[in-house]
Amino acid sequence: MTRFGYDERSAALLVFPVLAVLLVVAAFPIIYSFWVSLHDIVLTRPLRRPFVGFDNYLRIFDDARFWTAVARTTVYTLVCVAVTTFLAVLVALLLNEVFPGQRLLSALLLVPWATPSVVNGLMWKWIYDPTYGLLNGLLVQVGLLERYRVWLGDPDITLLLIANAAIWKQMPLAALLMIVTMKAIPEDLYRAARVDGANIWQRFVHVTLPALRPGLMLVLVYETMISIRHFDLFLIMTQGGPGDASFTLSWLIYVETFRSLRFGTGAAMSYVLAITTFALSWAVIRFLGKRI
Amino acid sequence: MARITCAALTKSYGAVLAVDALELSIGHGEFMVLLGPSGCGKTTTLNMIAGLEEISAGRLLFDETEVTWTPPHKREVAMVFQSYALYPNKTVRENIAFPLRLRGQSASEIERAVGAAAEQLEITHLLGRRPNELSGGQRQRVALGRAIVRKPSVFLMDEPLSNLDATLRLSMRGLIKRLHQELKATFVYVTHDQAEAMTLADRIAVMKGGLIQQLDTPEGIYERPANIFVAGFLGSPPINLVEGVIAGGAFTRGDFRLALTNPPQEGRAVVLGLRPEDVSAGGDVTARVELVSPLGSETHLDVLAEGGVALTLRVPKEWRAAPGDRLSFGIDPARLHIFDKASETRL
Repeated sequence: MTRFGYDERSAALLVFPVLAVLLVVAAFPIIYSFWVSLHDIVLTRPLRRPFVGFDNYLRIFDDARFWTAVARTTVYTLVCVAVTTFLAVLVALLLNEVFPGQRLLSALLLVPWATPSVVNGLMWKWIYDPTYGLLNGLLVQVGLLERYRVWLGDPDITLLLIANAAIWKQMPLAALLMIVTMKAIPEDLYRAARVDGANIWQRFVHVTLPALRPGLMLVLVYETMISIRHFDLFLIMTQGGPGDASFTLSWLIYVETFRSLRFGTGAAMSYVLAITTFALSWAVIRFLGKRI
Repeated sequence: MARITCAALTKSYGAVLAVDALELSIGHGEFMVLLGPSGCGKTTTLNMIAGLEEISAGRLLFDETEVTWTPPHKREVAMVFQSYALYPNKTVRENIAFPLRLRGQSASEIERAVGAAAEQLEITHLLGRRPNELSGGQRQRVALGRAIVRKPSVFLMDEPLSNLDATLRLSMRGLIKRLHQELKATFVYVTHDQAEAMTLADRIAVMKGGLIQQLDTPEGIYERPANIFVAGFLGSPPINLVEGVIAGGAFTRGDFRLALTNPPQEGRAVVLGLRPEDVSAGGDVTARVELVSPLGSETHLDVLAEGGVALTLRVPKEWRAAPGDRLSFGIDPARLHIFDKASETRL
């Protein structure tokens, strides 16, 4: 008997092209960027690239800008994930009911999700615009605001306004995932709970919420991974400003790498961000996965 | 215990009438079985009694109190579902305790009640487990536990044994019967399984198309079916139904002739009903054996009598027959059922 049969050999042959592509487009950049992070590469002096070990990592941990960016990213991610998940559950609860216009509303739900990120960023930038923005116009007309404000110029709320734009785009997918999970809850559980004497809130707590855990886990992991690495909205709406009010980790990596041209420290920051994202996702899966 | 009265109880979904002006009175502590094929309205009726389905028209009374619009939890009913409907995230203990917790009973009361219910159903050793760690039979016992722990006056059961295998179904059937005897509560039980209906019921309501076809004791329904549908729905193998006419005081179909004790009017088109077991050895009916199906305790014979009348007979295992044999057997005219061909009702 041969070690590998015909089937195994053909399988290996068929898998090889995909494996080769994956090695080139995924494995190589991961390994190469790690190599870059261990060298002091500055693009203004391209021929000088000394090996510095983990000095780049130590340097960024000593950098106050890095910790500010970590704090901003944490706030931004927490707001995005919490609000997106909360709204997604509410929207899913609504669209899981049968009422006139439910199908139309379900279809409309997909519009923000289908909007390209750049379009989304520009749209919200215009909505927040201090001279012709919709938000100013609306609030002044209903009397909630006396005069037009420079919304994105206020460091106290900039991050929240960008988060709002992100939530608007991300919530529909999260809601869809929740609806799918809700549809899988057996109707008999609700009927049993009604006979047992559970009111609508108790039915939500004892039947819906526990059954939503798989969907919740998916949404939490996905939203955390997306939000922590958000970049496009920051590029389009504020470019880190006003001051450093929207200087998140992704934006800092961009500035460090492509504006300051310090590829070594930029790669080290990217690695820290990637490992953090992975660790957070793992923690969510482990924490919620145990309870499913 | 409670008496349940359905007065012209109706349920419609748009133009579709699921239950049509149902009149049914279920006595204190009675075990009533709603029997019928899928879509006959039996589960809808049960759901209306439970309060899970809004009543389109008519009234529902528990004893003398009208509960037509009373929500489920205020009706003092407990329900057992075909799917068990156990809360997957809760342990067996928490599942059984859930209705009591919602009623705000104290922890010690709950613990005592859950312990008693678990003991009665022999599931004390399962209290710490979750539903996905239980077998089908164990899950159904837990579902029963959640029902009995509240000590309701009415138990509603929606095909509770349908998901179990044949052996388990038999033992669970015994358990439900024992519970009914011990609890002395009113049971309303929905099934499409005639064996379950026959063994459990004090009375059976056979339903079709949202209407009760016959309401009687199991014996009454089996011995005196009100129409062809009821006759055909109960019995395994099913009753033999042969179309023919009344001629000379006998049922006639070609050369096949059976004398009747109390024949309907001459020339009337009728359907003859003969239970497979209502035949005796030796007699004036002759037939050719087509198929022999020995079952150990008895034998089923498919035979072809005169006039091309095909019959299935359930005979003792001692009857020796082989395909192609000529067989003589007797039919007691008193055991025959005659139905009007046009109206399909018993004559």
